[in-house]
Amino acid sequence: MKKFKLILLILLIIPSFIIAQDAKEIIKKADAKMKGEQSSVSQMTMQIVRPTWERTVSFKSWSKGTDYSLVLITAPAKEKGQSFLKFKREMWSWNPAINRMIKLPPSMLSQGWMGSDFTNDDLLNESSVVVDYTHKLLGKEVVSGKSCYKIELIPKENAPVVWGKIISWISEDEYLQLKTEYYDEDGYLVKTEIGSNIKTMSGRIIPTRFELVPADKEGNKTILTLDMIEFNSPLTESFFTQQNMKKLR
Amino acid sequence: MKTYKMAWRNLWRNRKRTLITVAAVVFAVFLSTFMSSMQEGTYSKMIENTVSFYSGYIQVHDPNYWESRSINDVYAPDPDFYKKINNTPNVKMSFPRLESFSLISTGENTKAAALIGVDPEKENKMTGLAKWVETGEYLKPGDDGLLIAINLAKQLNVKVGDTLILLGTGYHGNTAASLFPVKGILNFPSPQMNNIGVYADIRKAREYFSTAEMITSTVIMVDDYSSLKHTKHELQKKLGNKYSIMTWDEMQPEILQMIQQDRAGAVIMKTIIYVVIGFGILGTIIMMMSERRKELAIMVAVGMRRGKIIKTLFFETLYIGMLGVILGFILSTPVMLWLVHHPIPLPDKMAEVYEKFGMEAKLFFSLYYPVFLNQILTVFGITISVFLYPLVTVSRFNLIKSLRS
Repeated sequence: MKKFKLILLILLIIPSFIIAQDAKEIIKKADAKMKGEQSSVSQMTMQIVRPTWERTVSFKSWSKGTDYSLVLITAPAKEKGQSFLKFKREMWSWNPAINRMIKLPPSMLSQGWMGSDFTNDDLLNESSVVVDYTHKLLGKEVVSGKSCYKIELIPKENAPVVWGKIISWISEDEYLQLKTEYYDEDGYLVKTEIGSNIKTMSGRIIPTRFELVPADKEGNKTILTLDMIEFNSPLTESFFTQQNMKKLR
Repeated sequence: MKTYKMAWRNLWRNRKRTLITVAAVVFAVFLSTFMSSMQEGTYSKMIENTVSFYSGYIQVHDPNYWESRSINDVYAPDPDFYKKINNTPNVKMSFPRLESFSLISTGENTKAAALIGVDPEKENKMTGLAKWVETGEYLKPGDDGLLIAINLAKQLNVKVGDTLILLGTGYHGNTAASLFPVKGILNFPSPQMNNIGVYADIRKAREYFSTAEMITSTVIMVDDYSSLKHTKHELQKKLGNKYSIMTWDEMQPEILQMIQQDRAGAVIMKTIIYVVIGFGILGTIIMMMSERRKELAIMVAVGMRRGKIIKTLFFETLYIGMLGVILGFILSTPVMLWLVHHPIPLPDKMAEVYEKFGMEAKLFFSLYYPVFLNQILTVFGITISVFLYPLVTVSRFNLIKSLRS
């Protein structure tokens, strides 16, 4: 009888365990697909759209895991050469115009990057959607004509996360992150990111256009276009240094 | 004999009784004038503090600026913008500001704070910014340096002569990056202001934020702050809907709320004082009525109309009230006058609390007219209500019974 109870208990626990594992697995696959299992190098164009003005910034980005990333602005000419480094918990910014390097305070994580709707956190991926959150599969929904897993991400305690909750739609077939909603600590929608323009790049099928729409600012959005991406190129930690920030062209 | 004359004589038939009642009124008037004057003094000091330190009485912004506080919601003043403002009655002076948040860094240490671009001369004329420079010197027009608030300077560990790196986002997403030498350190009496950020010449701030000739706000000082609403209206008419015009209480509603709450509390205190005094007067009047019952009955018996008696009694109560108010003012005015010019310094413990709220640790007084007007109206109100007693008694008393009493 005791044995039977134990088996019953195990049988009851296992399915929920599998589901939890599943949700995490899905996020992990989707994340690795976009960011590369080890590293990635990409070239992007960011278009900031505001009701009265628009602006385009191009940049190149190198990243290795969640600990290291480096971003270099390549256009417009006035901004060219600026770079941002994330090295473990530290963020640095280099500005060639004033020939100075400054350390960014953690409070800057949630601030917009280069006047866009992307935060410093989005860009320098301070937090990991895999490690810093607990995942729960909410069901399946169709987004942009594709059947998607709908997964809720709740940040773990003490995780360096600026969101209260994230809901992510990931396509069943290719693990593409097609839609992501970001909520604040009070449960209000802050912004929605929509991935589209699915293409094969460096041998992977991925969305190459990301539209970020803030929830409370009408007429504002930021469109990020992936111009080039390479996965798992050999990048060592010594690439992510302050010296290199100044040298990169 | 005229009724008012007779009332006057009646009062002095029992000198002691009258004087005691008058003294009670004098006391009430003195106490509540003192209280009101202190309240109004404190309020206007509070307003003056916030207004003259920073916000000014009125500010002109882009309609979106107040909500967004964004460097993108700026405006270029029309050629005749300042002329229109300065020609508006009651406007003393107007001056531009360009302010936005920025990272302020020594390289290793970085803080986010405001960079306030000012016209050094005009700013100093109105807000007296130069007098808060503790070390170093004030900005000269066209200066390249900046003044830093003391708490921020301590956090960043910078001294006069050091160079600060400012990095932020300027107009339309342009990167703002510049080096500024520290010209001076500002030590305001208000802790809030000591964290505010840095001040620089507006030309340098415009260059930094890439805003060309644009500004975020125009600060306006006025001569008479009681007609602020009217001035705001005039300005709105002249400048049109392209601009949003805000008065200090719209920009800092918490101060007005604080004042209103405090006023409500003080009203209760004053009501208690006046209720006590009111009953004192009523007591004396009841006593007087019972003492004079027979006298009044005889007067009615010999043919005096009750109406005339009531009139006399009315004047008597009114005189007591008026005497009290006048004597109260004679007593309190010199005291208030002295206190307006010699505010009472607070003991150290209380002083700390005051300084936390950014106020000078003194009790200030005011001679603002409602301080006095309200006393006159209140005492008059009390007199009228107390008078109800003799009114009712005289019109109803039984002649025969009263004659025999």
